[in-house]
Amino acid sequence: MSQGGFRKTLTSGLWSNLPPFRLTLGLCPALAVTTSAENGLGMGLATAFVLVFSNLFISSLRKLIPSTVRIACYILIAATLVVLVEILMKAFFFPLSERLGIYIPLIVVNCIILGRAEAFASKNPPALSLADGISIGLGFTGSLTLIASIREILGAGSWFGISLFGESFEPFGLMVKAPGAFLVLGVLLSLMNWISRRRGEVFVQS
Amino acid sequence: MKESLRPVVVLTGICVVCASLLSFANQSLGPRVEQQTDLYVRGPALARLFDLPAGDLLDNKVTVTIDDIAYPIFFRTEGERVAGLAVETTGRGGYGGDVVMLIGIDLAEDRLLGMEVVSHSETPGLGARIEEEAFRQQWQGLPAMAPVGLQGGNGSIDAISGATVTSRAVVDGTNRIVDLMVSHKDLVLAAIEAGKDMAQEEPEP
Repeated sequence: MSQGGFRKTLTSGLWSNLPPFRLTLGLCPALAVTTSAENGLGMGLATAFVLVFSNLFISSLRKLIPSTVRIACYILIAATLVVLVEILMKAFFFPLSERLGIYIPLIVVNCIILGRAEAFASKNPPALSLADGISIGLGFTGSLTLIASIREILGAGSWFGISLFGESFEPFGLMVKAPGAFLVLGVLLSLMNWISRRRGEVFVQS
Repeated sequence: MKESLRPVVVLTGICVVCASLLSFANQSLGPRVEQQTDLYVRGPALARLFDLPAGDLLDNKVTVTIDDIAYPIFFRTEGERVAGLAVETTGRGGYGGDVVMLIGIDLAEDRLLGMEVVSHSETPGLGARIEEEAFRQQWQGLPAMAPVGLQGGNGSIDAISGATVTSRAVVDGTNRIVDLMVSHKDLVLAAIEAGKDMAQEEPEP
């Protein structure tokens, strides 16, 4: 694979394939846990960890895995990594794991993991798949942190738990509830599409 | 024949590797997870049950094995006497698996001190509401020697709407302890006496 292909893969997750906006996969965690910046960052990093290693392992085993049982193999690998993340989080970031709760096990069925396994890792060599995992994982972490930051700042008047505006600020409570997640996601998505259109980009998913 | 066996062999192979990796991780990090659970969940839960500051409550612990089931028991002493217990129990049949909880018992009054959830995998907003005080406080002051039950059945516990299955699992866990105390109270108390003496002979290193 050429140098250009490698660089393109490494940057694709940051704009042209940016999850959840451009891939429109992984919307459930993007909406459900982004009530505070810390939760968003934690969820993003946990997903990124699973994605990076599932891409690496699936790509390494892609010639060994028969196509008839490939989905079962992908889910098995993803599930193992997710349980590993769960144990690691409980051992080292216990309060965060309590707050994310059921959403950590649910990373197994996060469409980004399966989507990248099927669309990328099963067709590309390990190094490139690793790059794809890092790129998409970082993109997802960034997006979740951004959505969560906007919701926390507007909805609770704080960022990463640090109060920003003092006593006089009246928090916009809707933002930390479910409708706020849809509002922020929609506004960010339209903003991203508007920028893309002005730059004359073509909307084709790879 | 050989071609049809391949998927089976590969899938089994991956299963074996994954399972060994996870059991290794669980073995090596299990104690640390327990320690964190003590710090963030059991400690505060015991402090609420016994109405005492957290800290040394976790050290007053014995494990009693009755009928092949191990019950971790925390206790509180008043002078020489054991005044209160908190027994850890597992409620079977929650919506997302078993629910682990602590049941507090006031031995002097023979009443329940309360119920505290240690771990669960229930749905946020529904079953997970067993953690809320409004649900937990229903346990306070119930008789310790009579089975608890849901309203509409044969008891006084108001189940969480939309989460009857989870509420039932908590009731199930409670009744395991009620049964234990009804049939084996002497054994439990003897084990605590023995454990208490051992703790006194061997001060914390």
